[in-house]
Amino acid sequence: MIKSIVKTELAIYFRNLNSIFLPLIFFFLILSVFPLILGTDKILLGKIIPGIIWITVILTTLLSSNNFFRDDFKNGVIETYLTSDASIELVLFFRIVSCWVFTCLPVIIFIPLVSLLFEISFQNSAIILLTLILGTPVLISIGIFGSALTLGLAKNNILTPVIIIPFYIPVLIFSASAIEAVSIGLPFTMQIYILLALLVLVLPIMPYLLKYTLELSINN
Amino acid sequence: MTNNIEISVNSAACYKNNNIIFKDINILLNNREILVVTGPNGCGKTTLIQSICGIQNLESGHISLNKVNIQHQECNYLENILYIGHKNSLNDDLTVLENLDYLCAFDSSADSKDTKLIRKSMEYFNISKYEDYMVSQLSEGNKRRVALARLFLTKKKIWLLDEPLNNLDDETTKVLIKLFIRHQDNQGLIILSSHFDLSKELNNVKIFKMENQSD
Repeated sequence: MIKSIVKTELAIYFRNLNSIFLPLIFFFLILSVFPLILGTDKILLGKIIPGIIWITVILTTLLSSNNFFRDDFKNGVIETYLTSDASIELVLFFRIVSCWVFTCLPVIIFIPLVSLLFEISFQNSAIILLTLILGTPVLISIGIFGSALTLGLAKNNILTPVIIIPFYIPVLIFSASAIEAVSIGLPFTMQIYILLALLVLVLPIMPYLLKYTLELSINN
Repeated sequence: MTNNIEISVNSAACYKNNNIIFKDINILLNNREILVVTGPNGCGKTTLIQSICGIQNLESGHISLNKVNIQHQECNYLENILYIGHKNSLNDDLTVLENLDYLCAFDSSADSKDTKLIRKSMEYFNISKYEDYMVSQLSEGNKRRVALARLFLTKKKIWLLDEPLNNLDDETTKVLIKLFIRHQDNQGLIILSSHFDLSKELNNVKIFKMENQSD
């Protein structure tokens, strides 16, 4: 069963290369807009660029998780999930992971290149990478949760971000604080541990929460 | 496993947004029986079938399988039912074969590893030539046939079908009815909604007529 699910997920993503490359292109477009607006002042950019990268990643995750279940809902796949005796939590877990692998991981892989472009120091670049690796799975799961929550509504394009961005705040606070700590030379292990704790807290709970939310959405 | 299956719906009522969908529904059904739910559009056929699936909550009343409420854990209800809604539950980006393989993963009674059996089911519904077609390329009728091919693969005893005859031509309808008869012979039970009267083609058919409530 697991094999079949993984195979299907891979097939769906590789047949829609859009869903892999568009978030990446979006990420670079938004990043390149900032120097256009703020000017090329190196000191200013050097100060705010970690924050800009994080904001851009948030927008990218919002974009890719916004309509996560829409097609499944339209095609009736959700109903099949809920009336099946297979372990739906496992299926949903794999779907979260594959969404992260195909939409966030490409962005994370390109962070070193971004660091070169904006002349970010190695230390700062490493901490950005680390916080992104720990933070984005949480952001993606919360985004998917939001998309499940607004499934029954007809027009939910803006509503989902409005609901979920407040839940992003803990991840954002500790990521920003870790980056800040590194740039002024303070220890940052506490923030990293908290991000790790959020990750291992959210990821196992999310499939169960998603199943319950999908049941509610079907039941509207 | 016992061969006896009995589904009962007791004084079920369902509301959506304070509108009454149906009320006072009582159904008793044993194996080898087929229940055909008929009624005008919007009378709640889909909602009733979804309630019997357990994905739609009832306002009052309850549904039980062998006298155990289907909401109870020990009922193992989902292990016994196969639901095919009026949406076909097919993924547009997968081929016909991949779709059936994927759907088998959600049905513990089907031999999901057996591609031969999946090919046989496609032959049965005469869609073998579309094996490597994307579902998005198929016509509505052919999509319906792909969805119904799951019936050939499953060994579950209770089939819940929402408008299975929609978009089907006469020939496929006959194929489907043959499959229904085979299922009856295997002690199965079918609940389906339809506008057609199937009592001529099938034995043991119960007709359940629903009325529009919101007038």
